[in-house]
Amino acid sequence: MRGPITLLAIAFAGGLMASAAAPAADYILTGQKPDQLVLIDAKARSVAAKHTIPDAAPGVLTVTPSPDGKVGYAIVNRWESVSGIDLDSGEQVFRADFSGGDKRVKAMFGMDVSPDGSELFVFLSPVSLKAGEYEVGDTYVAVYDTSAGVGAEPVRTFPAPRRTAILAVSNDGSKLYAIGWDVVVLDAQSGEQIGVHPIRNWGRQNFTEPDVLDVWPQWSQADVFSTPYFTIRTDKAEDDPAAYAMGMLTLDLQTDEFVMEEYENFEVIIFSTVVNPVRRNEVYGVYTQLSKIDIEKDELVERIDLPHTYYAVNVSSDGSELYAGGTMNDIAVFDTETLEQIGSIELDGGNMALSSIRVLQR
Amino acid sequence: MSITQLSPVFTLLAVFAFAAPAHAAEPDELLNSKCSGCHARTDDGLQRIKDSRRTPEGWDMTLVRMAQIHGVKYAEGERAALIKHLSDTRGLAPSETAAWRYALERTPGVVESPEDATLAEMCARCHTYARHALQRRTQEDWLKLSHFHLGQYPTTEYQALGRDRNWWEIASTEVPELLADHYPLDTEAWNEWSAREHPDLSGTWRIAGHAEGEGPYHGTVEISAEGEDRYATVATLNFPEGRTVVSEGNAIVYTGYEWRGTADADGKTIRQVFAVGEDGNTLSGRWFDADNDIDGGTLTAVREGPAILAVIPEYIRAGETAEIAVHGVGLDGEVSLGAGVDIVETVSADGNIVVVRAMAAGDAGAGRRDVSVGDASASAALAVFQSVDSVRVEPANTIARVGGNDGPLAKVPAQFDAVAYANGADGDAGTDDDVRIGYFDATWSVEPATEIAAALDDVEYAGEMNTATGLFMPAAAGLNPERPYSTNNAGDLVVKATVDDNGSEVSGTARLVVTVQRWIDPPIR
Repeated sequence: MRGPITLLAIAFAGGLMASAAAPAADYILTGQKPDQLVLIDAKARSVAAKHTIPDAAPGVLTVTPSPDGKVGYAIVNRWESVSGIDLDSGEQVFRADFSGGDKRVKAMFGMDVSPDGSELFVFLSPVSLKAGEYEVGDTYVAVYDTSAGVGAEPVRTFPAPRRTAILAVSNDGSKLYAIGWDVVVLDAQSGEQIGVHPIRNWGRQNFTEPDVLDVWPQWSQADVFSTPYFTIRTDKAEDDPAAYAMGMLTLDLQTDEFVMEEYENFEVIIFSTVVNPVRRNEVYGVYTQLSKIDIEKDELVERIDLPHTYYAVNVSSDGSELYAGGTMNDIAVFDTETLEQIGSIELDGGNMALSSIRVLQR
Repeated sequence: MSITQLSPVFTLLAVFAFAAPAHAAEPDELLNSKCSGCHARTDDGLQRIKDSRRTPEGWDMTLVRMAQIHGVKYAEGERAALIKHLSDTRGLAPSETAAWRYALERTPGVVESPEDATLAEMCARCHTYARHALQRRTQEDWLKLSHFHLGQYPTTEYQALGRDRNWWEIASTEVPELLADHYPLDTEAWNEWSAREHPDLSGTWRIAGHAEGEGPYHGTVEISAEGEDRYATVATLNFPEGRTVVSEGNAIVYTGYEWRGTADADGKTIRQVFAVGEDGNTLSGRWFDADNDIDGGTLTAVREGPAILAVIPEYIRAGETAEIAVHGVGLDGEVSLGAGVDIVETVSADGNIVVVRAMAAGDAGAGRRDVSVGDASASAALAVFQSVDSVRVEPANTIARVGGNDGPLAKVPAQFDAVAYANGADGDAGTDDDVRIGYFDATWSVEPATEIAAALDDVEYAGEMNTATGLFMPAAAGLNPERPYSTNNAGDLVVKATVDDNGSEVSGTARLVVTVQRWIDPPIR
């Protein structure tokens, strides 16, 4: 069981509800192949703007909005660039190209913006293309000044573990979480490792190392990163369904609380999850099913089959509806109470594929 | 990546077919002119290139990658000339390819037997184990291959069997050591083989084999030299039920023994991937339709006798009389079909085919018999059986792929054969002493392999089994809105063969996974 919801979290959730009552409305931000950044009016179920990202093909990977909802950052150009697009004008206001000289450098999914919007963090994997041979380099985080415009160079870099897939900045901006084999906590300024929440190295008796792969940044509504994990109980017989356990990992970006708890025997694959910012015990996961999981009771609440595979899911600020996207070029809308499908948003054009589904307020 | 960039891959095997005679320039000059811009010249050859040996397909994959990724341009005939030169000077000895020829032959439904568990997990989770086992490198160069892998495919360490371990740390330390240990550059076998003179293969060869899904065939091929290591072929092939095919083609021999041929047969283009025996007197391997490599067959060929190639049919039932044909070269003399099988009469004999009427005694025990004609002999070439006690389906596990439906890739079907077995002395089926009788006609069907396959009605959607021929044709590619989740026409099926053994039905099964297209299909998968 996770601990009782903190007063701080309640206050925070209340704040979101208050903001939902204000004129600001929810918008969904995502990418479409080959080079589209798409802004969607969530409640209107309609595309508000499509912006073409320069030199972006063949697709758009991770998408991160600025905290003020004015700029969308996207990993593009075969993961070798990040482009910042003004969501009103469509102008490219920021661009960093990672590769150059004999270095080919790819962003491996992980990207986040500091809470004040001033810095952009990207996880990078370099290789030197030498005459007749390649040389793999150490992975690192590059930090950019978001006001540097087009042609930005990192203001600082620091090492980060290989196989990092998610970068998330804590709410106070002091910590950078690099989530891969473990959650490595880095000082967002110095890059110094200041803590670790073990995943692969959890060392639990009678459990195998858990398997986690999550590349979807879907924590910003509840300020809780969540991801499913799979583990095998070695104290159970191989033919016992209870030997194969699914659990939910949550990392609270406000409090640093980190929890991994099993909630069901393995039944279906879940690619990514999102925490409800209002009923904060509810987590929703997608792939070929939509699952609703209670992380206080550690149990599956409900599960429905989806019309097709969706990789990504996000949630409205009032916690009432879900936006399942990624994979193809439609976003399915579901009621968080009933899991009934209550809408669909068709995006003409290319597939979203691995692109993120972000929700921002404008 | 555009189709234009990909196209070298799709035409890869065709290079063997349309290879022009040796390029005018000396091969070493050509190699230097194409490669030394990036691969530095050293006293003992070009950097990297001097540190590895490969099969013709392996070298071609490298040459294509150099074109795709590094922009190397080949004028007509240059790529073929480089494959030939590299394979001849930096190839693998016959003993070094023997265990892995299925990958070159594109044999369907092979479940590999990795030599090393670490390499199986680190390497063979993405490509065949054979792919690296068909290369030889220095340890330093194996390490460079690890760098290439992660540099080119940076998601490798995020995938299943990548993210559960410190993949790069293992790939850059333990793996090059293991690979250099198993597959070193310098070997006795290669030193000995590369110093040999290789025989001219011209002459008349007798051939026999099993056409997958059809049955035994035999024939003759005239091979004539057309320049160094280049041959023209004219074959006459006799398939079951009187189907006769005359096939003309040509071939190149690489590394002294790697026969790569192309022939036209029945309107199809047939690829041949054969190995010449070390004495230059046998050929063995597999041929297949260039556009559909599951449509093929095995082949053995022999030039000089006396030698037995095949016995057709390869079995006789105890208590029955049947015509048995012994195929080979230089067949002259008394025919013996082994204990309990009497020769009633010789029907015909021409040195290549000896047909006898034979009678198997009613109490003849089940087993494989040695066959001889004069000085020619073949061990375990004829099966005697009382009854079919069990049936095994070959291949036991295989894959078919959806295709077509206006997509760029054709369907990849699956072809099955039913093989009858008699129980051995232990009286139990499925044990090591079972006697392989041979291929039987069967009635074919498919069933769901799992509860999920039943719930998703895979039998209805995944494709259609030809009940008479054992050919499974998968369904169309693409999302199917009729199915849950609009899923593809994928399926998980049990294939069932039912053999009629004189009125009693005997069945065997195989597992068939129908899955999505293979978008990247290199010569060595």
